Amino acid sequence: MFQKRCEGRRIKLEIIKLNVGFTDTDLKKCNLLFMGGAQDKQQQIAAFDLMKKKKILREIIENGTPGLYVCGAYQFLGEYYKDADGTVIKGLGILDLYTENPGVNFSRLIGNCSVKMADGSTIVGFENHGGRTFLGKQVKPLGKIMKGFGNNGRDGTEGAVYKNSFGTYLHGPILPKNPVFADNLIKIALEKKYGVSPAINLSPLDDSLEKKARNAIANRLGVKL
Amino acid sequence: MNAVSILFGKLLIIFSRFLNIGTGSTWPGHIALALNSDFIKEILKQNSIEIILVAGTNGKTTTARLIQRILEKNNKKVFQNSEGANLLNGIASSLIQIATLSGKINKDFAIFEIDENTLPLILKEVNNPDFIIILNLFRDQLDRYGEVNTIANSWNESFRGLNDKTILILNADDPQVAFLGKSRRNILYFGIDAIENKSDKPQHASDSTYCPNCQEKLTYYSIYFSHLGDWACGKCHFGHPKKVFTSSPTYPISGTYNLYNINAAVLFAKSLGLTNEQITSSLKDFRPAFGRQEILSVNGKKIKILLSKNPTGLNESLKTISGLNAKNVLLILNDRIPDGRDISWIWDVDFEDFSSEFKIITISGDRAFDMGLRLKYAEIKNFQTEENLLKAINFAIDKTPQKETLYILPTYSAMLEARKILTGKKIL
Repeated sequence: MFQKRCEGRRIKLEIIKLNVGFTDTDLKKCNLLFMGGAQDKQQQIAAFDLMKKKKILREIIENGTPGLYVCGAYQFLGEYYKDADGTVIKGLGILDLYTENPGVNFSRLIGNCSVKMADGSTIVGFENHGGRTFLGKQVKPLGKIMKGFGNNGRDGTEGAVYKNSFGTYLHGPILPKNPVFADNLIKIALEKKYGVSPAINLSPLDDSLEKKARNAIANRLGVKL
Repeated sequence: MNAVSILFGKLLIIFSRFLNIGTGSTWPGHIALALNSDFIKEILKQNSIEIILVAGTNGKTTTARLIQRILEKNNKKVFQNSEGANLLNGIASSLIQIATLSGKINKDFAIFEIDENTLPLILKEVNNPDFIIILNLFRDQLDRYGEVNTIANSWNESFRGLNDKTILILNADDPQVAFLGKSRRNILYFGIDAIENKSDKPQHASDSTYCPNCQEKLTYYSIYFSHLGDWACGKCHFGHPKKVFTSSPTYPISGTYNLYNINAAVLFAKSLGLTNEQITSSLKDFRPAFGRQEILSVNGKKIKILLSKNPTGLNESLKTISGLNAKNVLLILNDRIPDGRDISWIWDVDFEDFSSEFKIITISGDRAFDMGLRLKYAEIKNFQTEENLLKAINFAIDKTPQKETLYILPTYSAMLEARKILTGKKIL
């Protein structure tokens, strides 16, 4: 997704897959980070590895390196995750938030959803999570949930923003259907890398199919884009 | 009490057929279970039928159909729960349909196609089934079932209660399925031939590459598709079973995944003592179930439907039609409850491998534009999107030249809908 949107603007981009066992140098090379969730078992293995690199990851995030962290990765950046059976799993503690799964008697938060962002734009996606996330004072919500559940199904927030790091429950996946959001991450990465200001303007791409896909889901949710 | 349920259920079935509101394949069972939660258990106990459970993410319907065919052609009386009715209520309904009012069932074998999540529940109702056939475990309908590992764990748990009388027929190439046979007796393994089916690269849809025994990353000597292959764990030395049945005397339908379905069904038949000749002759002219490589004809053009409801299924369908030199394709993506409401799985399909394969691609369904986006990112350009299925089908048939075949790859509800349009009949 990032690759295609960069190619369209002749921006050279290299994707480095940081698999279990990656080095600090690999991580420092990156101008934009993306981390997704996985099944519990796979996630535990990745989490164990990431714990060892907590310090450097914190440095990078504090530095303002942009990143997108979805679902399990979003939860893992927080203080802790309390399992359905009450076990507390320590998070990386980089973002001021925590997540608790209320137990097997509570249903997962599942469905199509839309989020109103601070700049007035709307992102759409699909959420599917058992954990309920609560934000602390150091982070801002990514946006206001219009349709769906968001962070916890109670306080109307969805996701979290800290410096240039974005955490969210939306997949679906989030980037192809929200090209403005994707472009924003590319912009921040470029500005950060080249230290340019005023802001970079990316040349427009043909997003007509993206618009149709967004409209289809917005119509179903009964929201305006 | 059960007699009342059966009578009432039978009336309901007749009624719903008469009014053409589906075949009543779940409601009668739903009511019977509400009146007596032990309904299934009691009816089965009353009869001496050999029970075969078929479970797995992909291939249940085809495998059950193969088994039914083999048994019937060899003079056994068989009944089965109806297509798609693979939860407890569907199974109860099938009993209502077949039993006399006193609960008597005049059959030799019962084949129950079981939904992944229902397997532990049905094992409580059917204490020790005679056979359990487990085909595979892939990611499917994450919104409904949660993750693959959760299902594997609950299967493991429920298998602990089985005694050795039950014969397990397991897929040796699927690590989590093979693991179900660990330290058990009475297991038969099936798989496919390692040399003929080797693929060079792992697919994105791969689900279980960690050792089910010790969680270490598995080593694959060869991968056939998704996470199916010849695997071993370097740490705890748990590995692919040694004695595996891979060579049926006959393969009446094509596709790699059908090699598995056929080998599973044939291994079952062999365990009953049927000979290669008996099996081969009973599968002569075998026709797949509807929507599974089913062939229809409209305006003199051939239409082949390949149900494709999850990443592994769609990958395999694309591989199969590409092998058949397909030029005209209609993809239909719905996101209703039977399809799974989460459609993000389409991003795990390796469309990139087929980017210049097909001449005309039509896309339809509730989420046609999402599928369009997916193809766009796979650098596929020659596609048309049309949300309205009737229009899309007409367009796709129209664009298919005479003597060529249109291949339809739909999700579950899309398959029923497309079939209804193509045949003018309602089927469920």
